[in-house]
Amino acid sequence: MEEPDTDPPLVVVPGADPSARQLCFEWGPAEVLVCETRFGRKGGSRTHPVPSRSPSRPQSHPIPTPIPSQSRALTGCVADAAGAAPGSSRVFVVHRDQDIYIQTLRKLFNESHGIFMGLQRSEEELAGKSRKAQLVQVSKNYRSVIRACMEDMHQAAVSTRDPALQGQYSTQVSILSAMELIWNLCEILFVEAAAAGPLLLRLLDWVRLHVCDVDSMVREVLSSESPSKHKLFWNVVDVFVLQGRMDEARHLLSKEATANPTSMTMYKILDDLMKKMPMPSLGNTQTLTELELKWQHWHEECQRFLQDGTFASNPHMESICKILLGDEDAILEKKELMTTWYHFLVTRLLYSHPTVKPMELRFYAQSSMDMFLGGESSPEPLDMILMAAFEFEMHQVIKECSIVLSNWWFVAHLTDLLDHCKLLQSHNLYFGSNMREFLLLEYASGLFSHHSLWQLGVDYFDHCPEYGRVYLELHIERIPLSTEQKALKVLRICEQRQMHEQVRSVCKIMAMKALRNNRLGSALSWSIRAKDAAFATLISDRFLKDYCERGCFSDLDLIDNLGPSMLLSDRLTFLGKYREFHRLYGEKRFPEAARLLLTLMTAHIAPCSFWMTLLTDALPLLEQKEIIFSAEQTYELMRCLEDLTAGNVDKQKFQEDDVETTKVEMLRLALARNLARVIVKEGTVEGS
Amino acid sequence: QVSVINTVDTSHEDMIHDAQMDYYGTRLATCSSDRSVKIFDVRNGGQILIADLRGHEGPVWQVAWAHPMYGNILASCSYDRKVIIWKEENGTWEKTYEYTGHDSSVNSVCWAPHDYGLILACGSSDGAISLLSYTGDGQWEVKKISNAHTIGCNAVSWAPAVVPGSLIEQPSGQKPNYVKRFASGGCDNLVKIWKEEDSQWKEEQKLEAHSDWVRDVAWAPSIGLPTSTIASCSQDGRVFIWTCDDASGNSWSPKLLHKFNDVVWHVSWSITANILAVSGGDNKVTLWKESVDGLWACISDVNKGQGGVSAVPEGQQNEQ
Repeated sequence: MEEPDTDPPLVVVPGADPSARQLCFEWGPAEVLVCETRFGRKGGSRTHPVPSRSPSRPQSHPIPTPIPSQSRALTGCVADAAGAAPGSSRVFVVHRDQDIYIQTLRKLFNESHGIFMGLQRSEEELAGKSRKAQLVQVSKNYRSVIRACMEDMHQAAVSTRDPALQGQYSTQVSILSAMELIWNLCEILFVEAAAAGPLLLRLLDWVRLHVCDVDSMVREVLSSESPSKHKLFWNVVDVFVLQGRMDEARHLLSKEATANPTSMTMYKILDDLMKKMPMPSLGNTQTLTELELKWQHWHEECQRFLQDGTFASNPHMESICKILLGDEDAILEKKELMTTWYHFLVTRLLYSHPTVKPMELRFYAQSSMDMFLGGESSPEPLDMILMAAFEFEMHQVIKECSIVLSNWWFVAHLTDLLDHCKLLQSHNLYFGSNMREFLLLEYASGLFSHHSLWQLGVDYFDHCPEYGRVYLELHIERIPLSTEQKALKVLRICEQRQMHEQVRSVCKIMAMKALRNNRLGSALSWSIRAKDAAFATLISDRFLKDYCERGCFSDLDLIDNLGPSMLLSDRLTFLGKYREFHRLYGEKRFPEAARLLLTLMTAHIAPCSFWMTLLTDALPLLEQKEIIFSAEQTYELMRCLEDLTAGNVDKQKFQEDDVETTKVEMLRLALARNLARVIVKEGTVEGS
Repeated sequence: QVSVINTVDTSHEDMIHDAQMDYYGTRLATCSSDRSVKIFDVRNGGQILIADLRGHEGPVWQVAWAHPMYGNILASCSYDRKVIIWKEENGTWEKTYEYTGHDSSVNSVCWAPHDYGLILACGSSDGAISLLSYTGDGQWEVKKISNAHTIGCNAVSWAPAVVPGSLIEQPSGQKPNYVKRFASGGCDNLVKIWKEEDSQWKEEQKLEAHSDWVRDVAWAPSIGLPTSTIASCSQDGRVFIWTCDDASGNSWSPKLLHKFNDVVWHVSWSITANILAVSGGDNKVTLWKESVDGLWACISDVNKGQGGVSAVPEGQQNEQ
């Protein structure tokens, strides 16, 4: 067993009594139940001392780490002392993923589902560059969904009056922002796999997009009447330089030059240097070697100007020149304008090593972080994630994200994308099925606890080749079938995937529900769909019982149109045929009706308990003016009657029941009369 | 991330012994030493008391929900030696059957997979296991395995329904030939597996590894693999994971999950069987997950001294 490498995440279940109680734990379909109890009370005469330990440790729900080179500790809820009631009789329903209930995230889940499905179906025949471009586009789509969600969340935060909600929304916004930051970096390094040259440009874009703390300052200065007189003027120029926004920096500087003609010479030189700075380009216009040469020359030129003391009289400009030369101290002085170590990293690279190769990033990243934080503060989780990305430790990135983020959305989708980029396959995984599938299973399982998002979960399970199907089977059974529409939805999903057991189960549940609510027709159609013969028999019996009591059938449409499903159960067949008999009778097609009636008994389709009723039904046919039953048929009927009465000889009820005996008498009489008439008729030769 | 979404105040007047969600997570059943069984509607974070069922004359140890296709049915077992089956008819909960065939406390009840019909297994301190099968029209048939465990039986758990042999769909109307099995744990330190053969229940396997009373057994749900897995926990502080690779159920091998410092009372599997929860006497619940090479990843940092439990005041909540 591996030693865990970090402390288990502790989760406090507020309100659980920390006094001498133990915790009982049960799984619900989507949540877990925790209740305070004391074990040891049951189980016979052996007494066990009840351990009086304090406090009870409620159950935690874990975020199991997908990278198990270390085992993650998953426990540990601790009871919160506040609010403990004496003799607590509370049960805590604990849920693992509340994010799915946040309304504003709904769009995120829905739209990312669409992107996910598109990716799964995308053509893999595209190779090389076009495939890469396609994957980059997918990545960008995900990011724009995150940004749209951020925007919505921001709007919600701004427009709400409830401070608690506002806090919640704001937190969500920063989480989403961090997610986009990480995803963007992953896109640059992994999906696009930018090579030396373009890599720097991408990183610059990334920094510009995400370090926005200085935006308001920039706006303020630019919109003032005379920017060069603004006290933050030089800060803004520095910001532009640090972010490699040369044109904007030069533009601002020109204002300064106009305002201060004395520094015109200095300005012109600096401006020229900034203009000439060699930058990597996205097209293939220059090779790296060419760039490096040019850059070397330019660097030396800057060096000369600095050493000549050209900028000595203007500390601002001198500092800018130093920055251009990649002087780390000079850059670090502008810490507050960069706000993050990764901004510092990119600036450093821009001015000291613009042709940095992807694999070299890790060294610069580590040293940048160390220099920037300078031992004053320690890295936060976000920093560690970004560092892992710079080190190209994809698995580490995913693992750290899994721990920090509160739901699986991010890691599931990112990992799926990376898997499509064929970046994950060489790693050997610890936790069972491959990581992509693992994360997708966790994410989709979480969706199933939501009353409507579960439908998205179905698609995700579909794309998990190893366990997706069985997970779907287990989860879909737990969807509450609160309405007929929902049941039909679930059914359709199961039928499409040939999940026959689940189909049967759903139909049976719906049939039972309908039966309890006395909706016999509905119950019957559900049991037919379930192909449940036993239940169909039960319901048919109910129908027949109803008929006996009320003299008419309910749900005639259904019974009339049973078709081949009538054969599901004998009783059902009887019900259908019996109803047919009534129809024939109603249509006055007496001979056919008679024949059917007889068949029902002789072919034993009718249950014995019903024979009396059938024979009674025969009475009106026997009493008709015209003869309907032939001699043979009449003999059959008589035999049936005798079978019936013979079989009931011991039944007290039968003998004591006057009505029954009267009926039998009437039947015998009618049969005898019919027999007499028919013998005469059949004996008479018609015409000659 | 975990958050408490609902705190149900059951108003039980004494210790709660079991709480179970129904199949869909819409209802909660609880039972207590106050002899009552309560049912709550817990949809949308609410808690509406639907029923307060009285009928037991002693502490009620466990409740179990039957599969929804049979309607709303709940079983409860108690120190008073009775097993009561409750059913919801026309919106009200009533006792539908009471079984008094045991001579001492009934400790555990467990419904069989719905594919077998409505069958309840009950384990009792009198050492016997009863199987109550619903035969229709309010009638229940009882089969009893006497002396299943000497001194007493503490837990019963059914194996998931698996049709042996072919996997093609059975023609409609025919019942597939299920091989019914369940596991039980008792005061004889054994875990036993029972199999139904020719309508009789026979002891199929005896699993020996514990050195003290077995307190709970839990048969893991099936995720389509040919292996079967059972978790057992005991007075001896050990939790074993038993696996059997072949379909005939002949060779079970135990793996020690962990040895705890105190009695382990309860084990239960998540619905997709990927996590095992273990509730121990050391006031902690730990969750465990299996890795691809068959090792069980210890999820509780017991080794690092977390065994000494101390209350964490509210202010120190871990963000994670």
